[in-house]
Order: sequence, then C-alpha cells, then structure tokens
Amino acid sequence: MLSESTLPELETAAREQLAAVLTHHIAPTALDLDADMAGSYALTSLNKVLFLTELCEATGVDLAHFTEDDLDRMRSLRDVVEALAPHSTKGS
Amino acid sequence: MTQDTLGRIVATEPGDGHIRVASLLGTQTLTLRELYRRSGRVARWLTGQGVRPGDRIGILAANSLEWVLLDLAALRLKAETAGFEPGKFAPTGDLIRRYGIRLLFTDRPAEAPGAVPIGEVTEVSQRADLDGVPLRPVTWGPKDVTTVKFTSGSTGEPKGLGATAGSIDSSLRAVQQIFEHGPGDDLFVFLPLSLLQQRYWIYSALLHGHDVTVSTYEAAFAALRRVRPTVVMGVPAFYETAKRQIEARMRRAGDGQTVGQAARAVFGDRIRYLWTGSAPAASSMLRFFTEAGLPIYEGYGLNETCIVTKNHPKAHRDGSVGQVLPGKEVLIGEDGVVSVRSEHPVNDHYAYCRPGDSERVFGPDGTVRTGDLGYLDEDGFLFIRGRADDVIVLDNGKKVIVRPIEEDMKADPAIAECVLFCPGQTELVAVVSPAAEPADEKAIAARLALTNAVRAADERIGRAIVADPPFSIDNGLLTSQYKPKRGRILDVYHDAVHDPEEGIHAV
Repeated sequence: MLSESTLPELETAAREQLAAVLTHHIAPTALDLDADMAGSYALTSLNKVLFLTELCEATGVDLAHFTEDDLDRMRSLRDVVEALAPHSTKGS
Repeated sequence: MTQDTLGRIVATEPGDGHIRVASLLGTQTLTLRELYRRSGRVARWLTGQGVRPGDRIGILAANSLEWVLLDLAALRLKAETAGFEPGKFAPTGDLIRRYGIRLLFTDRPAEAPGAVPIGEVTEVSQRADLDGVPLRPVTWGPKDVTTVKFTSGSTGEPKGLGATAGSIDSSLRAVQQIFEHGPGDDLFVFLPLSLLQQRYWIYSALLHGHDVTVSTYEAAFAALRRVRPTVVMGVPAFYETAKRQIEARMRRAGDGQTVGQAARAVFGDRIRYLWTGSAPAASSMLRFFTEAGLPIYEGYGLNETCIVTKNHPKAHRDGSVGQVLPGKEVLIGEDGVVSVRSEHPVNDHYAYCRPGDSERVFGPDGTVRTGDLGYLDEDGFLFIRGRADDVIVLDNGKKVIVRPIEEDMKADPAIAECVLFCPGQTELVAVVSPAAEPADEKAIAARLALTNAVRAADERIGRAIVADPPFSIDNGLLTSQYKPKRGRILDVYHDAVHDPEEGIHAV
C-alpha cells in the first residue's frame, strides 16, 4: 500500500520533471494534472520518453515495471503519477 | 563487388562482438556468432514457409531482436525486406497486397491473411533442429534490390524505393573508411530499423567485430546510461532534446557539475562521437556537444542518395555537412541546386510513387536532383543553404533564401516556428508560432528587429503574424516530423498574410 505521503511527493517530482523537458517555460505548479500532455503542452514522444526516464530515476522506480504500451497509455500527469505510485520507493 | 560486405555477412560466421537489444524490460545480449546462428534458423524456417529468393517479406514492428533476425535471414535467402514503421502503416490485407508481401511479420494485432505475429520468430530462432538443414549459397549483385525503404513524406502516400546491394556496399565501405569502427566500439541505434541506414550499424558490427546496441525508442535514454555506447546514431531533434536535458541537470546541480559531467550522465562515459543527419542541425547544438567533449558530426544524404557527405574526426568544418564520400559526386547546378551522382545509385526510380515523381527526382543514370541549395568550398566541403522550394523570387528578380532568415527568428526562445511568405512579391511576411501561450509579442517584435538589422533591404521581414493557436500536429500545421506545412499554414493565415494592416510591423 502507498503511504499517504508518497502521492504528493511523486506528484511534485512529476511536475518538476515534466516542466524541465518542455520547450517553453511553464511553472511546475501551473501544470494541469488532467491535461493531455501532448495536446496541451506540446510534449513530443521523445520528450515524453525522457520525462518518464528522468522521473523514474528521481523517484527510484524501475522503468522495467512498464511496457512500451503502458507508456503510451500515460497521457496526463495524473496517469503518470498513478502508474508510478505502486512502485515508488521515494519522493523526488 | 559486394563480396566483402553483404557477401561476407551472408556467408561467413562473424568475429567477436555482441548485439544488445534494449527495451523497457531490460537488455538482452547475444554474441554476434549466436545472432548469425539464429538468423540461419530463421532463414531455414522461412524457406519452409515458402519464401524464395526474390520474394518480399514485410516487417511492421518496433525495434527488436526478431526484427534483426528477419532482416539477416532475408539477406541469407536473397529475399527482399520491406520495413514499415509502426504508426505510419497498419498491418492490413491492403498493405500486404499493395506491396506484394509474402509474409508480414508484426508486433501489432493483425488478422490479415499473410500476417504473422513476430513472436513466432523468437521460438523459431531457438530451434536447434533447424541447424542441420543446408542453406543454398546466395550472391548479391550490385543492382539487386535488398529492401524497399519508404520516404517519410510530410503528406500523402509514402514513396517506396528499392535499395540496391551496390549502394549499401558503397556506403558501408565509405563510412568505415572515415570512422574506423572496430573492437571496443558499441554503436547505439534507437531510430526505427525500418530506416535502412539504422541497419547499416548491425551490418557494420558483423563485418568489423564491434558491438551494437539496438534499443526501442521508448527505452533510448534509459538504455544509453546502461550500455554506455561509444557512438550514438541520432537526428538533430534527439540531440536538441538531450541538450535541454543536460542544461536542466546542470541547473539542478548548481555550480557543482560541468557540462561534460552532465552530458556523460545522459550519454554514458565512453562516447567517441555522436552521429547526426537526416535534417539540418542548428550550429548552437553542434557547438554545445563539441564543447561538452562529445564531438558530433553532421552529414548529408537523402533516402534516394544514401550518405553523400559526412564530417568526421579527420575532416570537419563548421557549418558544412562534410566532404563528399568516395563513390559519390556532388554537382551544383546553375540554379544552385545540389544533384548527386553515385557510382552505385540507390536506384534510378521509385518502386511506388505517383506518376511523374521518379522523373522529377532521378536522371536517366540515377543522378538525383535533391531540391536543396548548396555550394562546395575550395576544400570540397558541402554547405547546404536551404531547399530550392524555400526560395522566394521578388518582383525585382532577387532571390531570397528564406531558411536562414527563419532560423534567425526561431533562435528566439519566444518563437517555436517561423515560416516566411511573400504575398505581393514586395514584402516578406512571417507567420510565427509562439513557444508559449499567451505569445510574448514584445519578444517577437524585438526578434523581428534583430533579424532585420543584419539583412539587406530585400531580406527584411515586413510583418509577423502570430499564430493562434500555435502550430501543432493536431491542428494540421506541423508534419509528424514537427516540420511546418507551408501550404497549409498559408491557407489558414491567408487573409492575415495578405492584409497589410495585420501583424506586428517591423519598425
């Protein structure tokens, strides 16, 4: 089970890592958890790969938990946080 | 002539070296000898499935060991391959019929007759009982077609082009001569294997005994850190992304991390050089990696020409795409358009295209009119100035090459894309896609002034229309390769482009 503190820490890390790969400046706190990352933030497929690689490294999640199809299904920040949460061992 | 390249690959057990296949699940490592053995089993099994020399098998799948095995098995049978990029093609009966595919191997759900789950190849490749069946020796002549490759055209049906064994042989030799890949090297491939050039690095490993890593696109950044390659085969957009990531890492680390350390954290600590091509690279990006201690070499070539020029450790010049490779000749027409003549052309026509496409591109001897504008300097380095399509002819007869002007505009952080039009042959009008919403019009106006300040009167931009919303793939104003679609953009902004009152006016 997730500790109560895991989700907020993961969400913060996800916001920071997503903001870091976007080509235009947007504050991590201004990102909409439910927005489609490709449509709303022009997240390219390569930037998505990089974002998830960096986020997994920062949160101690082994990328091997996911398949290429799992990654494809992660469309919003909330999708990402919920997918990583069961495997997360630490926050950012 | 191909006996030392494709001939050796199909007939001779390779030397030392490994292939690593990386996916999100991890990395699988095989010796090249084991790869060769398994490809022989797949070849024998394909024969049993009725595949004969000259037949064509299709592969529509993400990068995988099975992809590599099928490609090598086809070479050993003298069968053709057709590599289809997932997402651009679907494994349908129509695809199988249109391209004359005998068997289509795919990792996507498919029910069409002739479609085979690529997973079957995994099982076949491990069947030792297939080792005893003899394979008939094959010879690849210079004009034999080994594979059909497809252009990643921005619109319409992709064009299909049969690649000759002679052109592959010529490119493999030329690249080896300048980069001397060998034991100790590990070449990293993550772009789709449906692009023939990505398979060259597997052929190179088999010929020269070095390692090669084939990664899925999704696992690329994770695999880079795991396998620590010596060479990365990329494209400018990939390196731009990596550059931003290195810069972000440095910002997070504060003063404690050099650019070299941050770059090694992304690419591993064994990089000998980075390869880029397929699209123009920004000089700022090339400089960044070189200064970080990761030399990056840009080249030039089209699907229709294969690799024509390449910068390399022994001969490179800033701003150029390198010197012409052996077996290639660059001809600059009176109109400044680059044509390429090859000792062994990729082909002299498309196998699949609209009527007239082949005649527009190929001369009778296979000389390719590239449509790019360029010049050779006194030492034979080629400089590409833009596409011939990008030339605007003003009413005073002066030709304006728009790409350098657009590049200047795009160098501003507030601007994601810029395309120029000349509605009345008298003034250049830019349509600018902002990097953020709302658009920073002040920054765009400042960049407009800066761009104009260093240009002759005919090359100055009169007005800039700010696109709202910004160009995207979804709204049809960017191609799947993130290139602006000029015609479509002009359709959408036609009224604004033609209205002299519209936009941010240059001062």
